[in-house]
Amino acid sequence: MSGPRPRPPTTIAGPTDAAEPAATTPPVDPRAVRIGVASATRLEGDPAFSFAPPPHPVLQPAPAGEPAGEGLLVDGMPVRARLHRFDGVRARLEEEGPDGTYRTDVLFGPVHRDHRRGTDVREMVVEGWRVEVEVECERRAVLRERARRGAGAASKGGPVEVRAIIPGRIVAVSVGPGDDVEAGQQILVVEAMKMQNELRAPREGSVERVGVAVGDTIEVGDLLVVIH
Amino acid sequence: MTPPFRRVLVANRGEIALRIIRACHELGMEAVAVYSDADASAAHVRAADHAVRLGPPPAAESYLRLDAVVAAAVAAGAEAIHPGYGFLSEREAFAQAVEEAGLAWVGPPPAVIAALGDKLAARRIAREAGVPHVPGTLEPAVVDRPEQVEAVVAAARELGFPLLVKAAAGGGGRGMRRVLSADDLVGALLAGSREAASAFGDGSVYLEREILPARHVEVQLLGDAAGNVVAIGERDCSTQRRHQKLIEEAPAPGLSETERRRLHAMAVRMGLAAGLRNAATCEFLYDRDGAFWFLEVNTRLQVEHPVTELVAGLDIVAEQFQLAAGRPLSARALAAAERAARPTSHAIELRISAEDPARLFAPVPGRITRWQMPSGPGIRVDTAVEAGDRIPSEYDPLIAKLIAHAEDRPAAIARLRRAVGEAEVGGIQTTLPFHRAMLAEPGFVDASELSTTWVDAHWDGPRARAAAVRVAALAAGLATLAGDPPPGADTAPSGAGSTGEASGDGSARAWRTGGRALSVDRWPA
Repeated sequence: MSGPRPRPPTTIAGPTDAAEPAATTPPVDPRAVRIGVASATRLEGDPAFSFAPPPHPVLQPAPAGEPAGEGLLVDGMPVRARLHRFDGVRARLEEEGPDGTYRTDVLFGPVHRDHRRGTDVREMVVEGWRVEVEVECERRAVLRERARRGAGAASKGGPVEVRAIIPGRIVAVSVGPGDDVEAGQQILVVEAMKMQNELRAPREGSVERVGVAVGDTIEVGDLLVVIH
Repeated sequence: MTPPFRRVLVANRGEIALRIIRACHELGMEAVAVYSDADASAAHVRAADHAVRLGPPPAAESYLRLDAVVAAAVAAGAEAIHPGYGFLSEREAFAQAVEEAGLAWVGPPPAVIAALGDKLAARRIAREAGVPHVPGTLEPAVVDRPEQVEAVVAAARELGFPLLVKAAAGGGGRGMRRVLSADDLVGALLAGSREAASAFGDGSVYLEREILPARHVEVQLLGDAAGNVVAIGERDCSTQRRHQKLIEEAPAPGLSETERRRLHAMAVRMGLAAGLRNAATCEFLYDRDGAFWFLEVNTRLQVEHPVTELVAGLDIVAEQFQLAAGRPLSARALAAAERAARPTSHAIELRISAEDPARLFAPVPGRITRWQMPSGPGIRVDTAVEAGDRIPSEYDPLIAKLIAHAEDRPAAIARLRRAVGEAEVGGIQTTLPFHRAMLAEPGFVDASELSTTWVDAHWDGPRARAAAVRVAALAAGLATLAGDPPPGADTAPSGAGSTGEASGDGSARAWRTGGRALSVDRWPA
C-alpha cells in the first residue's frame, strides 16, 4: 500500500511576505501546523500545540530499524507517534511513551472551513470526548499573533502598524500618507465573505504609510496602514 | 394467551415509548403513538401502528396536554394508556381522566399515585407500616408565626445539622435545600417552599436528616387487583449527580441474602399499606451501618427497569399490561419474586445522555452525525435515535441506555468496558466518557465507594478530558501533516459539488464526504 500523497507546502499570499520585516521573522517550517481547541468546545486552560514535521515524512511506514514517527516536533519536543487511518472516520493513534506504546481510537468528524479566520475546524471524538480542534498553518498563526500584538501597541506612543485580522479584498482606501486621522475614523474597507468590513484607526495620529490599494487581496497579518 | 388489550396508546416519546411499543407488538396489541411537531418522524412514531399529533414542541403544549392525550386515545380506539416515565406518568389527574374516559390505566390507581406522590403522606404510610423512614418531620414545616418557627427550629435541633429541606410534592431535587445550621433554617424553608410552589403548585416542605454517606437502593414492586404485592429484586442507583441517576445496577452489590429479604419485605409492606397495583418502585437509603431508610415510592415504570428485567428474566412492561387488564400476577412474576433474594446474574445500565461531563453535565442538544451502538453477547441498547437525528432541547437529554448482563458484577463491568469502546457518537457530546472513567474507577469497580455524593465530590470532568484533548490534537496534526487538505488551501475537502459549507446542516453526509476525499488521498492515481 502506498502512503499518503505528499502535499505541497501551504503557501501564504505573496504580499504578506513582502510586507514582513525580515529581521523579526523566525524561520517557520511552511508545513508546520498549529492545533488548538476551537471556541465551541474550548474549556479554560485548554492547550494549543504546534506541530512541525521532521525532514522525512513520518506517517509513512517507517523504514526497517527506524522508530515510527521519530522526529515529529510538538511544541519543539520530539514525539514518536503515528496515525493509522482505517477509513475517512476511524483511526488509531499510536504513541510511544516511556513505558510502552499507547493506542487510542479516534473518530474524525466533519471539517468546517472558517473562511474568516482562515482555519479549519474539525470535530474529533476521543474516548467519548467530542473536541472541535482548530487547524491553522503555523506561519499564519504567527502572523495572527503579530497582528494582535500590533493592535496591542495602539495604546502606546510609537507608530502603530494596522495589520489584517481577516483575509479579504480591499474595496476602499479612505486615507493617504500624511493625512491626520482620529481614533475610530474609517481608514479602509475590506470585503470578506461578501461582507464589507470597515477598518478604523486604533488611535489618532498621522498616516505614515498605506501598504495596500483598492483591489488588493489581503491575508491575515498583512500590513495595511502605519499610523504615527 | 389472548392479548391483554387490542390497542394501546403510549403517552410518551423517545426510548421508553419505543420500548413500550415493542412490548405491545410482542403481546399482539396495536400501538398508538403521540407526538409533538419536534417528533413527527421520530422512531416511536414510525414504530407505532397509528400516530396522533399533540401540538408544538414544548412539552406543555404537547406531551403534557392531559386532555389531548386522552382525546387521542378515545379517537384512535385505544383501550388502555401506558404513560411511560416522566411527563404525565405520576399525575393523579391524568390517571383519573384516563379511567373516567373508560380506558385502562397502565399503572397504580389514581388514589395510590396521590397518596404516595405526597412525600409526607408516604412517610406517614411508612410509619404505620412499620417501615423505618429517613428521620424527620411528618407534617409540613410552616414558619408563618413565631411559635411555629420555634417548633420547627426545635425539631431541626433534634434531628441535627446538616439536614435537608424537602418539598412534599417534590422530585429531582426541586425545592430541596441543604441546611448547615439553625441560622439558615428559616431562609431555606422559605426559599424551598417558594421553589416547590412554582414547580409543583404545592409549597409544602418538611425536614429530613441528611444521611451521608449513603447508597440509593430501590425495590421493584408488582401488584395485582387481588391485592398481592411482590418484590422482583432491588437495584443500586447510587451513582448520581444532583439526584439524577447516571448508572444503575441489579442486584445491589454486597447485600447478604438476609439483608435482601429484609429490604424486599419492607418494600412489600409499603406496597400493601398503600394498596399498590401494577408496578412501582420503593426507594431507600442504605447507610454505612447497614440500615435501610425509606425515601419515597415512584408510582410508575422506572428508567432503569431493564436491569431488573435481565436479572429477573421478566418483561416488566408486559407484566404491567397483564396486570392492567385485571389479570393476576403471572407465574413468571411469582417465580421471579421467589428467586429475588438469591440473584444469579448481574446487570448494569449506563444512561447515555446528551450532556457534557466536562461542563457540570449541562445538556447539549444538537444533531447526531454518527451513531454506532455496541452489540454482541449480553448487551442491550434501548434507544430511539440514529445518525441525522436532532436532539431537541425541549425534552430530557437521555438518548440511550446501554445495559450489560453477565454472570456476575465483574463480568458485567468487563462487558461494559468492551461495549463502551465499540460506541461511536459524533456531533453531540454525551456522558460516555464519564462512564468510561467510572468503569476504571477502583471505588466503583469493587463497589467499595458507591455513594450518592461520589460524583459531586470526586468527578473532575475537565481533568478527565485533558488527555483526550491532547490525543485529538495529535491525531488532527498528524492527519494534516500527512496530507489532509491543509488549512488555507483553497480547495474544498470534498471537491466538486461541495460548497465548503457542506458540513452545516447535512453533517451526516459530511462524514461520508470526508471519507471519500480521504480514500482518494490514500491511493493517488
